[in-house]
Amino acid sequence: MIWFMMVVTGIFTFGTRFIMLSRVASKKLPAWLVEALNFVPIAVLTAIIVPAVLIDPTSQSLSIIGNPRLLAALIAIAVALITRQVITTIGAGLATLWILKWLA
Amino acid sequence: MSGANDTADVPIKEPSAADEFWQGVRDELPLMFGVIPFGLVFGVIGIESGLTSLQTILLSSILFGGASQVVFAQLWAGGVPALILGSSVCVINIRHVLYSASVASYLQHLSLGWRLLLGYLLTDEAYAVSIRRFTDGCSGKFQHFHLLGSGSLLWASWQTSTIAGVVVGETIPESWSLTFAIPLTFIAIIAPIMRTRAEIAAAVSAGILAIVGQSLPWNSWLVIAALGGIAAGWLVNRHNNSKRRKQ
Repeated sequence: MIWFMMVVTGIFTFGTRFIMLSRVASKKLPAWLVEALNFVPIAVLTAIIVPAVLIDPTSQSLSIIGNPRLLAALIAIAVALITRQVITTIGAGLATLWILKWLA
Repeated sequence: MSGANDTADVPIKEPSAADEFWQGVRDELPLMFGVIPFGLVFGVIGIESGLTSLQTILLSSILFGGASQVVFAQLWAGGVPALILGSSVCVINIRHVLYSASVASYLQHLSLGWRLLLGYLLTDEAYAVSIRRFTDGCSGKFQHFHLLGSGSLLWASWQTSTIAGVVVGETIPESWSLTFAIPLTFIAIIAPIMRTRAEIAAAVSAGILAIVGQSLPWNSWLVIAALGGIAAGWLVNRHNNSKRRKQ
């Protein structure tokens, strides 16, 4: 089953990359679709980030006060806005998390 | 930043295929700082999610898309129904249609083999650097070699770092919270590009729906939050555009 899913999602993903190069699909996408697709990365990535930060991995419930991942994420956002670098953002976020866990 | 001016200084001579290929490789190099740690983390997560080494490594070449691979592994580990897993991966990857449409006019004349190969290599990172080359007006008839260069470097580093992640994954203690590097990577990608009210609306809606939807069956919150966020951003954008037109 897992191999089947890997192949199916792989073919779909390749299709999204190849479709407009295929000469089969119409040359131009409708304007409303282009507008909507522009929001895909932000919507998808935020939907992954927020639960990864706010949902406690052991209790599986919402955790805001005393949640070390929340403070680490806020520091990472600040570092991302200042440095615009992936490596510094990961470094700052992980370092914050480690320090807070070590202090706790 | 990179050597985009190397060839612009000599406008008389058209860049050769090799020139374009290595230009693509050079332009892609700075992005390795994000790609290699991400690939490592994916390798670790794949093993932690219960995929075999072979499945984890092959997912990097079959799917070849970081965020979708992470979601694939995590939903698989969560025992989610195939339909939900499939639609989650598809929603995440649908953005590539936009890249495909954007490069089509530069690649349309190539042979089927070239278009298949370059389509496969059309990731966020390769698209980002090669579309800049296509539109700068300095590239000639070998411009597709630029995408071949940027895409090849990305592919090779993604596969290598995944394998490295699989190899070291079992030795990394869980207390290092290395999986937290995934949301951190995504923060690094989206925090600097959030500008308009519509983008903020998309992010806020997606974030709220992702939390509210946690109790929904089969982790369907991801698809719902993504679609809700896209709809919210699109609506705010429409609203702003129509207001601007009236003024």
